[in-house]
Amino acid sequence: MSLVENILQSVSELPPFPVVIQRALQLIDDPRSSAQDVVDVIQYDQSITLDVLRLCNSAYFGLGRTVDSLREALVMIGFNQLLEIILSRESVKLYGRACKGYDLDEGDLWRHSVACALLSRIIAKRLNRDASPAHFTAALLHDMGKMVLSKFVEDYFEEIRSFTQKGSLSFVEAEREVLGIDHAELGGRITELWRFPCSIVSPVRYHHAPFSTQENQDVVQLIYLCDTVALMTGIGGGADGLSYHAHGEVMKQYNLREKDIERFIILLEDRFQLVDEILNRR
Amino acid sequence: MKIIVGIADMQVADNPGASLITYSLGSCIGITIYDPVAKIAGLLHYMLPDSQIDRQKAQENPSMFADTGIPLLFREAYELGAEKRRMQVKVAGGAQILDESGFFNIGKRNYMALRKIFWANNVLIHAEDVGGNVNRTLSVELPSGKVSVKTSGDGIREL
Repeated sequence: MSLVENILQSVSELPPFPVVIQRALQLIDDPRSSAQDVVDVIQYDQSITLDVLRLCNSAYFGLGRTVDSLREALVMIGFNQLLEIILSRESVKLYGRACKGYDLDEGDLWRHSVACALLSRIIAKRLNRDASPAHFTAALLHDMGKMVLSKFVEDYFEEIRSFTQKGSLSFVEAEREVLGIDHAELGGRITELWRFPCSIVSPVRYHHAPFSTQENQDVVQLIYLCDTVALMTGIGGGADGLSYHAHGEVMKQYNLREKDIERFIILLEDRFQLVDEILNRR
Repeated sequence: MKIIVGIADMQVADNPGASLITYSLGSCIGITIYDPVAKIAGLLHYMLPDSQIDRQKAQENPSMFADTGIPLLFREAYELGAEKRRMQVKVAGGAQILDESGFFNIGKRNYMALRKIFWANNVLIHAEDVGGNVNRTLSVELPSGKVSVKTSGDGIREL
């Protein structure tokens, strides 16, 4: 079996995709769904319900009154926020393990992914766009490939690093050179396997090469930018470090400046409290 | 006792068994200070060079920015009894993505901000490990003042 075949086969070792996320995502795609449907999906799962209520009553939301039912939570924080809490919380299960190849401890990759997802909201707002749960999801899943590729990166780390240290290749290019496939492409395959729509598969697959596809250009570029800013903060960062290419054209296209990146980082630092609130109970 | 310094955070310590540590310095910069006579150490992890961009944020959390965090770090160490003339200052972080466009060079600007502040206040940097495109973990131990840098995917070395 070739190395690439071997890597592709180990996709089956991933934890099962959380059912609640799956159902929540179906609701997002269905224009007939209502907020009440989301409540219906989660109200029978007591641990999620308790977490949602706890978060709504935390300092993070600062609602100034006690929320004690899901319906009330929905009214107070809104459909999108509620979905994002659920997605962030449930995705812990996907990213639970440590990734030795990338020198990431348990929870690090989840932190990076949530940072990226929160940035999708922050940047969309700056661009005067509606926050999209699909973007949030794509951001949350963009590094899934690392979960699978990690053990192969570990085995071939010195070779990969010799390519990045020469300064000529980024980490993702070096992965492709040495292993025959990189974590972005692998993430694309995984999300395809999980039957995600193209609007999620494309940004996962092209999050380091935003101009390599014509499909879903807008979300691809957005997720690229979110990931770049998240990488810069170092939150949940690993052995690949910041060894990725910049695509300044994305900034020009969005008419953003250097200072905007700084503002994104300030806003992220505020919102990142959410992560601590989620983890506090674990 | 291990004291974790978060992102955009600062801590000082004077108890002999304490060690201050900060994780995941990407473009951010970590500064350790140590007074070998008073046996006092401090560690700052700041994210951005200049508080002008958001004064309100700087008031809420001065450790977010170089220009508000660095003076605070020194002030808090002085309060514990440290003295400027004895202070050993070490710096790590300020990494960059592979950028020719100049849009994403916060790492470099974070480092320049620090140099400017230290130059204006006659502070010397005793050792540093900055730039490149790696994530770093920085720590300082008491009572020895030993400073270590771990580069992600690589080993730990003394700074």
